Amino acid sequence: MQSTQINIENSSNIEGLNEVENKPKKKLSYTKWGYIFIASFFVIYLIFTLVPQLLTIYDSFFDYDPFSGILVTDAHPEFCGFLNYQRLFQENALGVIEIYQTIGNTLIMWIIGAIPQMVIALILALIFTSTRLKLKGTGFFKTAFYMPNLIMASAFSALFLMLFSQIGPIYTLFKDMGWIPEHFDFVVNKTSARLMVAFLNFIMWFGNTTILLMAGIQSIDESIFESARIDGASTRRVLFDMTLPLLKPIVVYVLITSMIGGLQMFDVPQVLTNKAKNSGTRTIIMLLNDYLNMKNYGRAGAISVILFIITAVLSIFVFKTINKKEDR
Amino acid sequence: MADKSKLYESVDSSESRKALIKLIVVKTLCYLFLIFLTFMSFFFFYLLFINTTRSNNQLQDGGLVLIPSDSFFENLHNLFTSFRGEFNAVIGLKNSLIVALGSSLLTCYFSALTAYGIWAYDFKLKKAAEIFILAIMMIPSQLSSVGFYQIAIKYGFRNKLWLLIIPSIAAPATFFYMIQYLRSTVSKELIEASRMDGSNEFMTFNRIVLPIMKPALAVQFIFSFVGSWNNLYMPSLLLSNKDKKTLPIMINALSSTSWGSKDLGCIYMAIFLSIIPVVIVYIFLSRFIIKGVTAGSVKG
Amino acid sequence: MKKKILCLAAVAAVGLAAGASLTSCSKKEIFHIYAWNTEFQGYFNKYVSDEKNNDDSNAVHHLNGVEVKWTITPSDNGAYQKALDEALANNESFSEDEKVDMFLAEADYILKYVNSDATLDVKTAYGVNDFSQAYKYTVDQVTDTSGVVKGASFQCCPAGLIYRRSIAKAVLGTDDPTEVQKHVATWEKYNETADLMAAAGNKMTASFADTYRVYSNNAASPWVKDNKLEVPAFVNTWMDQAKDQLDKGETTTYGVWDGEKSAEFKKTGKTFCTFGPAWYYNFCMGPAMGNGTASTAPDETKDNYSPDHTWGDWAVVKGPQAYFWGGTWLLGAKGGNNTDLVGKTMNAFLKDEEILKKLVVDDGQFSNNKKVNGAVATENETQKKGNGFLGGQNDTKIWVDMADSIVVKNNTIYDQLCNEGIQTAFGKFLKGELDSKEKVLPEFYADIARSYPTLVIPSSK
Repeated sequence: MQSTQINIENSSNIEGLNEVENKPKKKLSYTKWGYIFIASFFVIYLIFTLVPQLLTIYDSFFDYDPFSGILVTDAHPEFCGFLNYQRLFQENALGVIEIYQTIGNTLIMWIIGAIPQMVIALILALIFTSTRLKLKGTGFFKTAFYMPNLIMASAFSALFLMLFSQIGPIYTLFKDMGWIPEHFDFVVNKTSARLMVAFLNFIMWFGNTTILLMAGIQSIDESIFESARIDGASTRRVLFDMTLPLLKPIVVYVLITSMIGGLQMFDVPQVLTNKAKNSGTRTIIMLLNDYLNMKNYGRAGAISVILFIITAVLSIFVFKTINKKEDR
Repeated sequence: MADKSKLYESVDSSESRKALIKLIVVKTLCYLFLIFLTFMSFFFFYLLFINTTRSNNQLQDGGLVLIPSDSFFENLHNLFTSFRGEFNAVIGLKNSLIVALGSSLLTCYFSALTAYGIWAYDFKLKKAAEIFILAIMMIPSQLSSVGFYQIAIKYGFRNKLWLLIIPSIAAPATFFYMIQYLRSTVSKELIEASRMDGSNEFMTFNRIVLPIMKPALAVQFIFSFVGSWNNLYMPSLLLSNKDKKTLPIMINALSSTSWGSKDLGCIYMAIFLSIIPVVIVYIFLSRFIIKGVTAGSVKG
Repeated sequence: MKKKILCLAAVAAVGLAAGASLTSCSKKEIFHIYAWNTEFQGYFNKYVSDEKNNDDSNAVHHLNGVEVKWTITPSDNGAYQKALDEALANNESFSEDEKVDMFLAEADYILKYVNSDATLDVKTAYGVNDFSQAYKYTVDQVTDTSGVVKGASFQCCPAGLIYRRSIAKAVLGTDDPTEVQKHVATWEKYNETADLMAAAGNKMTASFADTYRVYSNNAASPWVKDNKLEVPAFVNTWMDQAKDQLDKGETTTYGVWDGEKSAEFKKTGKTFCTFGPAWYYNFCMGPAMGNGTASTAPDETKDNYSPDHTWGDWAVVKGPQAYFWGGTWLLGAKGGNNTDLVGKTMNAFLKDEEILKKLVVDDGQFSNNKKVNGAVATENETQKKGNGFLGGQNDTKIWVDMADSIVVKNNTIYDQLCNEGIQTAFGKFLKGELDSKEKVLPEFYADIARSYPTLVIPSSK
């Protein structure tokens, strides 16, 4: 595959070079093709993404009746200003502000999944790329670790739900070992449910992160390490004084993009804990989904806008880290 | 390599033996660590497999069992014939396949087309278009979901699979990958050459550029296929008709209702069937996929 | 080259699939029914459809030659209501194969649809006008505020206490229904018996929520009054009793519909009783049924046989308090095409005596036809026969005695989420997730406020 590619490039270089310089003006007439080629993207984006996005924002300023369409046939949503936003920041009967709670839940579950994931991925990336260890079978391990990333998150979570249910094998094991109190329920208990969500996210993503970090390590100029070793630097010194600082931009980049993805966490906690109505694992998107299911487009719209603002702020950080990487 | 052996030569033999022992210890620890992680990655799937081989009666008795039983085909048969409820494997597989194939083909083709449009031609809005696409890349897809859902209901587009396929024409992240690939691998002279041969612009793209982009297309095809195959959020909003549901929706429905008297063997089998197609594809393409992830990270 | 072939194959597959879905879009008559589970579908297939069998529940059935399509959406968390709301509100603009003709509904939310324009008068629209043999509550429930009847129930659901004969014999010394009833005739007696059961190493019920419907369907006040959420008094009584029983090891933390609960009905289970109407045997006691029915014993040679069944080891009594649980109403959707088929189905389950007799005798159900039920009860009495699952007990007689006095009162359109929500919130307390009983109601309020933001929620202190 790669060899054909090179062939094409080579031949084109030979044929192309002498012609291009002769006809510089001809390029102008191709301008319209640029527009034609990118038109489909923008038309589809406009219709299927931009318009719905604007409608979402518009919705967030209107009050919808939950029984519209059935009991109330002539209901028209009323303009209500920022009421939907205000209500989102009001305390519920438990004295909890749900939008903070869901953002908090999302971040907590992301952190307890992402931190070990980053540490383990870093260790794996270092030992996989280590020229001293020269481990065998790294290809197999990489393949094995990446596989869970492709597994349907909802199916994986459904599996956990079954295995940890009160007639599931894992539950029985924990019960027989006396590791859990009587009447314990893994998906109802806040801590265990969060740990399960975090663990699933960890298993699904650590392989991916490992590969990303390995690519980062391999892109560092090998000669720096060689010269350091010749200078007599210990492995530990090389690791802490050179490798890790050089990797920092990649680690930051991976963390922030993973956080943006993490904010949209839905499949795993939904399948695992929605039936249990666990308020400790309800994520922002689950709250959005709840409101959408009750046809409360106003509240759902307001949540979408808030999520958008948070993501936008994080994205600016991402672009900054990318730019820093390029400055180097 | 050569440097290292020199290093070893310079120290005395007892120290080199110490270093050797240390290396062996570290290596063993590394392998143990790797084996442990492999075990973690596979253990739950192994349990899944075991439970697909156990009958409802055995499963209801609970207990951690690690040896397969003999009810695999019975469960499979029951799932397809007598299992009542939300999970219909044939319909689910069919719909998931249509949506995943359709959307990943569109994503790949049109992302490449858009990337090529911006990369190959000079036009006024070129820079603006690229910046715009980069900027929208980070907007969470859920922002549009509320409005999208409303529009779909209003115009009677619920339960139309194309509604999940067509929007994937505009995939900013795939575009980004494609344009990076074009910039790093393809030379513009190639286009000039093909123009000289009398090829029109679309032909140039379809016959010359697309084949060169095959590695990038394949990688992105796999990722968007898997993404779409596994997606729960949007499909679950839009598809309510039994004949139109995709596998993740069925799985979600299965786990958000109580199992009651349902056959547990069938539930495990349903989960197994949702997972297995991707695993099989992965076994054949893993080398290639991992290469793709690596390449993506370097370019991204 | 290989890749090219793969790509081509992929394109071809999409093309084929798209083609297949296109052909199915072409105009074809379809009788489209919405339901939240497959219980009614089974009886429909077996007794009304052209095929007259339910051997393969996934096979396509027909009625008068028209293909019948079922859209099943589980009701948990209001998902079925959501699906119905969407479909009914847009039914007239739906394409032919998506239009809903008929849908099923439960007492917990039926008022929403009865009092809406989306449902039709069954007399004028479907020619269903003979309710003379139907039980009064099943008609009251689908009569809108102006007196128009909007649907028909295919079952009547007086409910009682269903107990395990072998455990009754071992602990109470008798398995005779009249004697056992004495041990559970009042809630005090019931609690005493529960203590006896625990002392003998058994459980009284397999779910803390088993008794819930006995209380809730006898509630003295509605969940919502004047747009205000008001928790009825029974909730406290029920919670105290359930907590007490759980502490004494007399019940479990499993939910009413949990698989863990139904596993307790197997031979190895140690649960004395459960609560439910006639549909409960087939629908909730699968592991106890084996693959038997009311008229046939479990058969080892057939599919889905389970050696641990307890077929024949059950019996039913009135229990501490008469109550009813359910009724599955068929309602016609405005905008549907097949009004004749809707009428045919409704009439079949209201007055086709041949079908209804089979429903009662073979399936152990309790039909919505006084004449048929009465005839079966008398016939059983004289011929000394009955429901095989219940060890030959004539349960139809018990239901007949209870059915006429069922009155539905105090139900609202909010009931489903309230009933589900309070059980979930209380369950969290029992499972140790809420540290005091005082937190159950606030937990429940928070849940309801999210679903119905327009309701006035009591302020919790």
